[in-house]
Amino acid sequence: MAKVEHTVVGTSPARMGGVERVIGAGIYGIDLALKDELHGGILRSQYAHAKIMSIDTSEAKKVPGVHAVVTAADAPDVRYGRTYIDRYMLAKNKVRYMGDPVAAVAAESPALVKQALKKIKVVYEPLPVVLDPEETMKPEAPTLHEDMPLPKNLPADVKVKNVCSYTPVHAGDPDKAMAEADIVVDEVYETKMIHPQYLELRIAAARVEPDGRITVWANAQAPFSVRTDVARLLGIPLNKVRILSTELGGGFGGKASGITSGAAIEPICALLAVKAKRPVMIVLDKAEETISTTIRSGAKMYIKTGVKKDGTIVARTGKVIYDAGAYSGFGAMAGARCTNMLGGWYLMPNVHIDGYVVYTNKHVCGPVRGPGGPQAAFAVESHMDSIAAKLGMDPVEFRLKNTPKPGDKIVGVPKLRDVSLGETIRTAAEQIGWGKVKLEKNQGVGIATGSWIESAGPGGGAVVKVNEDGSVTVHIGKIDMGTAPGFGIPLIAAEELGIPVSDVTVVKVDTDASPWDAGTVGSRAMLVSGTATRLAAIDARNQLFKLAATQLEASPDDLEIKDKQIRVKGTPSKSVSLASVATAAHNVIGEVIGRGYFDNVAMVAEEKARGSSQPFTTHACIVEVSPDTGNVKILKYVAVHDIGFPIHLASVEGQIEGATAMSIGQALCEQVVFDNNGRTMNPSFVDYLMPTINMMPRIETTLVDGYPGSGPYGAKGAGEIACVPPMAAIANAIYNATGVRIRTLPLSPENVFRALREAGRRKSKHCEE
Amino acid sequence: MDYFEPKTITEALSVLAKYGEHANVIAGGTDVMVDMKYKEEPGCLVNIKKIPGLDTIQENGASLQIGPLVTIRDIETSRLVRERLPLLWESCHQFASLQIRNTATINGNIYRASPSGETLAPLLALEAKAKLAFRDGEKTEAFSSFFQGPGKTSLGSKGLLTEIEIPYPPKGSHGVYLKHAVRGAMDIAMVGVAVLITADAGNSSLQDVRIALGAVAPTPIRATKTEALLRGRSLTAALVKEAATLAASESSPITDQRSSAEYRGWIVEALTRRGLEQSWKAASGKEVV
Amino acid sequence: MSLTINLTVNGNSQSATAEPSTSLLDFLRDTLNYKGTKLCCNTGECGACTIIYNGKPINSCVTLAADANGVEIVTIEGLADGDKLHPVQQAFIDTGAVQCGYCTPGYIISVKVLLDRTKEPTPEDIEEAVSGNICRCTGYTKIVDAIQLAADRMAGRS
Repeated sequence: MAKVEHTVVGTSPARMGGVERVIGAGIYGIDLALKDELHGGILRSQYAHAKIMSIDTSEAKKVPGVHAVVTAADAPDVRYGRTYIDRYMLAKNKVRYMGDPVAAVAAESPALVKQALKKIKVVYEPLPVVLDPEETMKPEAPTLHEDMPLPKNLPADVKVKNVCSYTPVHAGDPDKAMAEADIVVDEVYETKMIHPQYLELRIAAARVEPDGRITVWANAQAPFSVRTDVARLLGIPLNKVRILSTELGGGFGGKASGITSGAAIEPICALLAVKAKRPVMIVLDKAEETISTTIRSGAKMYIKTGVKKDGTIVARTGKVIYDAGAYSGFGAMAGARCTNMLGGWYLMPNVHIDGYVVYTNKHVCGPVRGPGGPQAAFAVESHMDSIAAKLGMDPVEFRLKNTPKPGDKIVGVPKLRDVSLGETIRTAAEQIGWGKVKLEKNQGVGIATGSWIESAGPGGGAVVKVNEDGSVTVHIGKIDMGTAPGFGIPLIAAEELGIPVSDVTVVKVDTDASPWDAGTVGSRAMLVSGTATRLAAIDARNQLFKLAATQLEASPDDLEIKDKQIRVKGTPSKSVSLASVATAAHNVIGEVIGRGYFDNVAMVAEEKARGSSQPFTTHACIVEVSPDTGNVKILKYVAVHDIGFPIHLASVEGQIEGATAMSIGQALCEQVVFDNNGRTMNPSFVDYLMPTINMMPRIETTLVDGYPGSGPYGAKGAGEIACVPPMAAIANAIYNATGVRIRTLPLSPENVFRALREAGRRKSKHCEE
Repeated sequence: MDYFEPKTITEALSVLAKYGEHANVIAGGTDVMVDMKYKEEPGCLVNIKKIPGLDTIQENGASLQIGPLVTIRDIETSRLVRERLPLLWESCHQFASLQIRNTATINGNIYRASPSGETLAPLLALEAKAKLAFRDGEKTEAFSSFFQGPGKTSLGSKGLLTEIEIPYPPKGSHGVYLKHAVRGAMDIAMVGVAVLITADAGNSSLQDVRIALGAVAPTPIRATKTEALLRGRSLTAALVKEAATLAASESSPITDQRSSAEYRGWIVEALTRRGLEQSWKAASGKEVV
Repeated sequence: MSLTINLTVNGNSQSATAEPSTSLLDFLRDTLNYKGTKLCCNTGECGACTIIYNGKPINSCVTLAADANGVEIVTIEGLADGDKLHPVQQAFIDTGAVQCGYCTPGYIISVKVLLDRTKEPTPEDIEEAVSGNICRCTGYTKIVDAIQLAADRMAGRS
């Protein structure tokens, strides 16, 4: 990619808000304290599937210090959801997983809340519990949603139940091609449920204002979606609801309620505030989070590929069974992404994959970091190695052989503009010492590639206001949870306006004042808000030039801003301070306000015409397996990415390192564990095992030159893609070390040990069975 | 919830006598406070940290006396413990996190009597004794009979631990404590194996051997049949394998959210084998063949 | 039943009442209004609530407020010297080790204790000091960089 001279984009200055975070300022949702506030708490279902026969809140209401007790009866009969509108904010008639909110209380103290919750009498009629989506799909399974139809696009001859989304990925003539293949490999892979486990607990606080509007504070990734849901679910006009965003201590897609039909505690909190006639704050606790809030779904993936002797892939067929959980949530989108990605990002001329998103009596699928992608990649990239083994071909060579070229299409992407996949493969192979590194006994090396499309989504705007001293405030609809709004966005404004980064403030989201936005999700912060901010800053700059032109006796086109001075290009002595021009605006137009937006329709059209330039990645690692316990240690890990242009370098690296670690966690130690009744058995960190520093290798990140993306300065989204390859990279390394292919996550010591033992018992060769 | 900070053991025993099962003794708090948050608050909390004289480590002839209020960290940083009781040292070194070690006490670990309590298998292997105080008198009891079930000890609801006495292992003894867990930090032991061997004068056979297993039975246990198999014999790979299998059969692990019983059994085998091999190497300088 | 707790926080004498079952974390945050120490797992398994208690790093969520009577506590609020950040704080900012920042106070406290004790921490020292601190954002790589940079600066090597 051509190198362009920039002032500040591409560097790594301190993040905006860094000082507050290192001194422990009370900036997060959980640090909020409203005057006169009551504490709120939620009663959750004790059954994974049951009819609600009755709820008696009379005893709870009598507890002194309790100001409100609400159930579905206290709210309008309105449901919410993303694709299927299938969920009440407080369960009505039925509960569908343990964690389903049934009632809520507002009281003077947490202890009183606890007391009151205990006094709420709910009579349930238990129903059969279904936890396995493959079982739940069967026509004879219990019905989870009586009034939800099967997907309209489901073929008539498919007899299933409890399916809330169907994605067909069909192209070419796979049956014919498979029959003509020299070698066919047929496997089944499975991943399990994990929880995003952001560290800052989820909160909501609500207050009815003197004018009757409701203010809700939320540590939510998508404040505007929260506004929509609060208004709809309480049956009040949209403009009577105002959402104020706090800082977030992590989100990872798990705090994107509103988008996901996930936890949705904000409407519950607002309802309590209305009924109690006092402000209410709800703070979830860690166990409650693990039990009830949105998760990354498990997926079962059938994958069969036909190849020619020379390694050319000719066909792929398969099936994805994606576990939506109790409500459709983000299931349709995530399941569709998983199904498309099961087709891989290599040349795939013939494909037939059917994806089913299925209800079960478990937690709801949320847009957790790269939804659907890591699951698909675990299957696809492990499967690539299985095929290579059967071919007797080097896994790196096999991948390069099937790498697309510019102009090619891959599953889900009609035309690729540029392809950096090969470059990332070669770079990662070199860095890990592929074919060269000396491995000791029980050590292995593995490689896995990935891709990710910045999720198709809405447009978004930005406003840049220029203060009279030349500093600016940037208004976007995305929040900062360690992401672009705190890192790259300020750099963009500083770059275009020629001001120091410290003169830029990105304002927290206030739905009354900020531009509407889908929120910080989908790796789109830089694409959408970055583009919008850049255009808004340029618009502001143009207005400043117009104001300054007369004074400088020049045309606006001949002006530039440098070091807070607006000056004539080539004649630096002819200059006037930025501050004075910004001040002069008062007497002319009031204030310089720049506006910009990301036009999603235009971008989609351009991608269609020119092709998509998407991020590609290859990860590689060396592991050591302990054969007598199954413990896996990662000795070396490299992550090679094409991010287009990294606007804030340390932030991009940080996103890659963090996303990699999250999937290493999913690979080695994380899993939500259930008993047969659907009860979560490891709700706290005692047994939900988060990766600790001692088990994490140094993640060596390399950004290849790559190709420009659709974001500002050629940036591509960086928040999610690194989640995609790690599980397969580790599984492939384990295979290389032991000759044993493990197809079910996690690659925990017990699972690895069992697989080794099973293989040893069957005395098999190094082969996929 | 009532709350007491007794200043003497007598005072503490008196409160416990009054409240019985409704009282929880709290030392460091790292276990008790988690219980209080997720279960019911007890009727009474008895904070014993103000009782003087319970927080020292001192030598007494050929044994070490550790007060119940000694923190896990203080045990870990004690030169005496590291040199003379490496089994106990290792279990404290692998205990939870530094933050937890700084407040958790050995009292808590023993009181809790969780089958997976980190220090418990080493205490058994070291044949440590507990000094218990009750309203009506004191007694000394070997830890081997002190643990009666998960959460159940000879203390009952009314006794207090006042001292842990650990005799130094015989001269020439070597041992290891091996913990199996997923992450290597902050984990509760899935299996713990403590091995202590004393080689004979010629370093050719085992004069004595002690094997204690943690997290694989309702209490920590000694693998007595395995010890009997090994005592007096020369270690060979075949014998070590046989001993490991026998040790696994002496355990009765359960299946829970952490692990299956079957897997725990396999790990008992693996860690017993490793423990014997490592101890033998430390004692004799030789590998087991 | 209310207890009176007299303690020193960041060099300042404080006195307030608490219920016996109140954790030191809740006492610091909700009674004394020190919001810098964070609440996360509440079971002593993540280190977000780490403070210095009579010189030692502990998890305040599993410590009784009652046990802070007569104790010297240092929280994250006590590290900066007016506007001048502590070297550990500065190093976390400079290396990009602060993403969402929620784990950051707990880390900085743990690291400060480590670097007050040793000028040249080994990888084992670092692991011991912070393996009880969880971060979900960074993947730990830049945190290790921050610790190294802080150590170098505090020892005058950088």
